Amino acid sequence: MKKSFIALPLLMSLAPLAAFAATAPLDLVGPVSDYKIYVTEEIGELVTQTQAFTDAINKGDLAAARQLYAPTRVHYEAIEPIAELFSDLDASIDSRVDDHEKGVTAEDFTGFHRIEYALFAQNSTQGLEALTAKLNADVNDLKTRVDGLTFPPEKVVGGAAALLEEVAATKISGEEDRYSHTDLYDFQGNIDGAKKIVDLFRGQIGQQDQAFLAKVDKNFATVNKILAKYKTQDGGFETYDKVKDNDRKALVGPVNTLAEDLSMLRGKLGLN
Amino acid sequence: MSNPTPQSAPPSRALRWGVAGSVVVMIAAGGLFYYASQLAATKRQVNHNEIAVTIHAHACEPNALTVPAGRASFRIINRSDRAVEWEILDGVLVVEERENIAPGLSQVINANLQPGDYAITCGLLSNPRGTLHVTPTAESDAQAKAKPSMVAFIGPLSEFRVYLSGQGGALIKAAAALQQAIDTGDLAQAQALYAPAREAYQRLAPAAQRLAELDNAINARADYFEKREQDPAFSGFHRLEYSLFQQRSLDGLAPVAQRLVADVTTLKQQLLAQSLPPEQLVSIVVRNLNSLADVRAVSGEEERYSHIDLNGFAANLQVARKVVDLMRPLLTKSAADLLPNIDRALDAFDAELNGLKVDNHYTRYDSVTDDQRKQIADKAKAVAAALDGIDPALGLSGLQ
Repeated sequence: MKKSFIALPLLMSLAPLAAFAATAPLDLVGPVSDYKIYVTEEIGELVTQTQAFTDAINKGDLAAARQLYAPTRVHYEAIEPIAELFSDLDASIDSRVDDHEKGVTAEDFTGFHRIEYALFAQNSTQGLEALTAKLNADVNDLKTRVDGLTFPPEKVVGGAAALLEEVAATKISGEEDRYSHTDLYDFQGNIDGAKKIVDLFRGQIGQQDQAFLAKVDKNFATVNKILAKYKTQDGGFETYDKVKDNDRKALVGPVNTLAEDLSMLRGKLGLN
Repeated sequence: MSNPTPQSAPPSRALRWGVAGSVVVMIAAGGLFYYASQLAATKRQVNHNEIAVTIHAHACEPNALTVPAGRASFRIINRSDRAVEWEILDGVLVVEERENIAPGLSQVINANLQPGDYAITCGLLSNPRGTLHVTPTAESDAQAKAKPSMVAFIGPLSEFRVYLSGQGGALIKAAAALQQAIDTGDLAQAQALYAPAREAYQRLAPAAQRLAELDNAINARADYFEKREQDPAFSGFHRLEYSLFQQRSLDGLAPVAQRLVADVTTLKQQLLAQSLPPEQLVSIVVRNLNSLADVRAVSGEEERYSHIDLNGFAANLQVARKVVDLMRPLLTKSAADLLPNIDRALDAFDAELNGLKVDNHYTRYDSVTDDQRKQIADKAKAVAAALDGIDPALGLSGLQ
């Protein structure tokens, strides 16, 4: 009792000093490795669920395949800062039709969005064997490569901003999942992936700038609250065309502010 | 107005203050102007240093870039009609990128580039890749020779912590399987599951041995106890080993196995909670290999009842390799001359152990001759000696 009585004012008087101390590099080892463990788990889910998703396609079960499309992709969206480091796999797993000069007929247009086109625009599971086999091979390849990758700390910390930029650029417009309109799953995946990074480095960020952390938390809460409005009973999301104009507008501010704020994270943790 | 001169003192004082004040304001304004013009100049400077790249529908212009090493800013102007990306690639790995650059707009990419040749993703995936040649500078040459900073170790140390987490999980699983075999009274199965559990432990051993008391509960030999095998405090793997392989009995093992599972669960938690400074990442492996060379290889004392020592040595070698692989990029950059010797020593030790396999299984250690044991010790010692060169070469002990 007596000790804490003395310790409290002492701590309070030291707190402003602590704010100036730079983050010790070794303090980042815990969060960076915990992030890899998180990414590894997410990729494990991606591999398992991609298998189930493509099994449904290969059995010709269109309804099941459509249902599994978005929940499977979420595991890719959450870990994009790392997944995107492998440019060849990112192109073959997640490229959009716009990335290909010949559009949907481009031979190298493969992956989730090509399959999405078949399932949601053509309403068909026919003739997708090569695409489903390639998607499975690609996510397994991604898993092997991520396992062997030493995560660059600046990419991990910078990943939070990258995810929010992704949201700002492709999710609010609804351009990512243009055939299925399941953008809100990806949206939530990006937000969860960014929030995970902030949570893992929470202690170190808080040491540097408590007010920054409070502001970031508040904006995450605002975004999550709007997204929650569109959650369905089965744990999924409404299609993006159901999102009201005022909600789309209400998302823009906090998403852009988060993208801007999180872009300062690397500097705050001494990784610039 | 009637007495202008004598009474002018107070107003003149006010005037003087006023003049002084305006001088201060002028100086301040001048200062601000100077500051603003400097700021503008700095901005112009930054803009001046930007390298402009225009993405057209089918290629970038310029498509071949050469820049000096260090920080570079690229302004990417999208003149195609789609939202596209521009990436700097090192092999297939993205160094820096900007996605979704809207048509008609531009974005700046800042990169800190090491000397070398990079490829550029330029808009559409079918567009030809651009090239980026980064030339060395006096500064980059100096950096390449400099010893790494503490920040450079975040990656390898994080990766080692991931390894501890994975192997820790594997150890818990293996110990739990062993416990289950003991609980169900299956002696043959328990004997079979002892080796994989030990292998999992031996991959963690260099790190586990930092936790003295806990490690003793898991790994102490009978010699450490007053009444040896009969001592009630004798616990852990070797207590199980004694009953499984010497007494060939499961009597009284259930609580020992239960405690082992609890202890290895705590071990994983503790290993993840401990901070490991860079110099220890190497020194714990050296210590482990030295104990192998000096004590364990010659005597075979570690697995004296089961004689599965070779499995443990191979697992020790695996973690040594893991650490070398984690340090490899730093060694390549700052102490490349050490690597051939390290790799040779690792391969020689590996070959020695592999030579003692029959039908893909390591032979029992009681059939390994004295001469072979000496060979194992020598090879392990050579790895330890090679690894000992890392600390001074990278300056691990004096890191800032």
